Amino acid sequence: MASDNQKQSKVNYQKLDNGITLITVNNPAADIISGGFFFSNCGSLVEPLPKSGISNFVSSVIVKGTKNYSALDIADRVESIGASLGADGGTDYFALSLKTVSIDFAPMLELIGEIIQFPTFPDEEVERERKITLQSIRSQKEQPFNVAFHQLRQNMYGDHPYGQSSLGTQASVTQMSADDLRQYHQQYFRPDNLIVSISGRINDQEAFDLVNKNFGSWRPHPQSASAKAIATPKISTNPSHQVITQDTQQSIVILGYQGVEVADPDYSVLKLLSTYLGNGLSSRLFVELREKRGLAYDVSAFFPTRLEPAPFIVYMGTAPENTEIAIEGLSQEVARLSEIKLSETELQGAKNKFLGQYALGKQTNGAIAQTYGWYESLGLGIDFDLEFPQAVAQVTAEAAQATAQKYLQDPFISIVKPE
Amino acid sequence: MQVSTFLANQSLPINIFTLDSGLTVIHQHLDSTPVVAADIWVKAGSMMEPESWSGMAHFLEHMIFKGSPDVGVGEFDWAIENAGGTANAATSHDYAHFYINTTNTNIAHTLPYLTDIVLRADIPEDEFYRERDVVLEEIRASNDDPDWIGLQLLYQTIYQTHPYKRSILGEVDLLMEQTPDLMRCFHRTHYQPENMTIALVGGVDRDQVIELVHENFQKFCIRSECPSFKIEAEPPLTEVRRHELELPRLEQARLMMGWITPNASNFKQAIGLELLAMIIAGSRCSRLVHELREEKGLVLDIVSDFAIQQDSGLMTITALLEPDDLDLVESIVCDRLWELGSDLVSEQELARAKRLLISDDTFAKETPSQLAGIYGYYNTINCLQDCFAYPALVTEFSAQELQHLARAYLSPERYASVRLKPL
Repeated sequence: MASDNQKQSKVNYQKLDNGITLITVNNPAADIISGGFFFSNCGSLVEPLPKSGISNFVSSVIVKGTKNYSALDIADRVESIGASLGADGGTDYFALSLKTVSIDFAPMLELIGEIIQFPTFPDEEVERERKITLQSIRSQKEQPFNVAFHQLRQNMYGDHPYGQSSLGTQASVTQMSADDLRQYHQQYFRPDNLIVSISGRINDQEAFDLVNKNFGSWRPHPQSASAKAIATPKISTNPSHQVITQDTQQSIVILGYQGVEVADPDYSVLKLLSTYLGNGLSSRLFVELREKRGLAYDVSAFFPTRLEPAPFIVYMGTAPENTEIAIEGLSQEVARLSEIKLSETELQGAKNKFLGQYALGKQTNGAIAQTYGWYESLGLGIDFDLEFPQAVAQVTAEAAQATAQKYLQDPFISIVKPE
Repeated sequence: MQVSTFLANQSLPINIFTLDSGLTVIHQHLDSTPVVAADIWVKAGSMMEPESWSGMAHFLEHMIFKGSPDVGVGEFDWAIENAGGTANAATSHDYAHFYINTTNTNIAHTLPYLTDIVLRADIPEDEFYRERDVVLEEIRASNDDPDWIGLQLLYQTIYQTHPYKRSILGEVDLLMEQTPDLMRCFHRTHYQPENMTIALVGGVDRDQVIELVHENFQKFCIRSECPSFKIEAEPPLTEVRRHELELPRLEQARLMMGWITPNASNFKQAIGLELLAMIIAGSRCSRLVHELREEKGLVLDIVSDFAIQQDSGLMTITALLEPDDLDLVESIVCDRLWELGSDLVSEQELARAKRLLISDDTFAKETPSQLAGIYGYYNTINCLQDCFAYPALVTEFSAQELQHLARAYLSPERYASVRLKPL
């Protein structure tokens, strides 16, 4: 992707007096403004097992009542001006998001200011969302991939928060109280934990004035503590092979390797290897296992960006009689990365694909606001948006092979298949 | 250069050309981005399949990616992705479309690959049988997805004569009988210029587009002719038509209700039905979401949707719920539809639905690929001009008009009802 003629929007970075970080991108292309409101040092990663799912629970109730507005008032305010408002308990952060036609941004920012600073977590809304969350946890089991992935995650991560679904467990969601949610809010929703990331038809000063007006007087709750290191349980290093039998037409085969966290120097190498294996129609797994052998419709790889070591995943869905062939095919393709040095063409092709798609991934104001807010909330800083592609571009064939040898050896294997 | 009809219309943000060959070209220049989306739409969806060829349109979409006489297997994928772009395709009842996302520096290099494989698909014999296994995997995976099964069942229940009743993926036994020759016949019958629209949107100007189209849309295959068949119009429903299915691994029941509405030629009515879908269960404040999810806690989720299609629109209401609540929820939905036909919606409710639709429309037109998709789609179902009037048409709708539409098309006594229950 040619970045030379891309009209790079300038990214502006400011701090408010109370510690809020404000990132703005003035992008006048469409009559839209998107905002991401990220809280760092929270999300699933800070959830102890008995409170597993609390971030998600907070995200479903936080928009359902504040000091001045009921759930219905909030929904009506958002919808009467045709805006969209979301809340997401992420893996390593908590985020709210907003999208409006430009002129409606100010009133929506006022509303989200109230939601963030003064949510009430009404008992009846907590009960309603609890019931729906418990149903959603059950519904996850309807998709064979979810079942297989859940098994893999538990085997790889054990009691570490990455071992659980972001929804939590039946037990944890049943037990949590409205006070637990309030306490989570008091502890993690602090101005010095908040990153506001805005992209769209708005200039830096307008954005600053609006954010300052709605959040400027916010002070942390006296009982909250500023960011502290998170102690998480140790991650399993004993690969396992587990099978769940279900009445399905396909087998789902997932292989997981213990990867690294985003701050690790090997992160960008594994990201490139994952792209090489699983991203797109020309990816290695697609060509070898689907195009040449017709084994699968869905075959791919992914390696998420995480604060703590992330799993390096390859997977496919295949006919039950091909289950063993699929395990062999996937593990051989991963093993090949340790055995050979990628050719210059292969390596450059994967880089071109990665860099092109990285740029294409930031076409909407929502995606731009999300990218910068997320990187900042992970402590990577907004420059990571430049450093990361540069690091990927510099990966050598030798480094790719050495990194594969270091991490991509003994996979955890998770299968869902019929009897 | 054979640009014959130039539909100059200063009020539209796009250029529309019809070439002598019959190919339609839609272009919009966006100078804020280097990205270029190219999206080729073909009126060759599963609706065009003779009955025994069920699944052919979708299978052909897979085979297009196996190349042409000049573009070998995998060569297209590599050319697009190695240039930092993306490619994909989709098939529906009304269309198949093939698209790439690339940049202004790469479009001249990548577009020829796309047009060549679409216009001159080779359909090699050995690749045909190998790719059939991939399609069979796609069918297996879909059969493991209860929501997909529910939607197939709803289409089969609501359409009994029109080809919309068919699964786009096709029937396994019919797929096994198809041959590369039959597929070539389907391709050469339908992948002809008069059935095709190319939308080019983004950092590419008019002169470049004229040149690109001139260079890349010359070599259509020699025409062929599929067995003829008549598409029967679907008679209106005269009762509640029910279907129930028990599925293993189901944790929540599904209730899916559907209503047939007029076809895409009546765009204004389609917009009215979109407004009704928004008011019924399109947002958190909508009637059924508020009552059934928020107030009564009877559903995990409920959503209404209006799908505009060439031959008939389809209004659906879908709920996730406990099996014991199926009867109660269905009867409440019917009561609320009856109210929509008998009472006017409030001004506040109408204004909210209008704002939501207009915002959705703005949000859905942010990137070149979104725009190219919208233009190609609307032209394929013959209502491109209308789509620019969208916000104006939404704004002028009255509560009375919505009441008439609800009465005419959303009957609580004539609809299709599909229920999925845990085994």
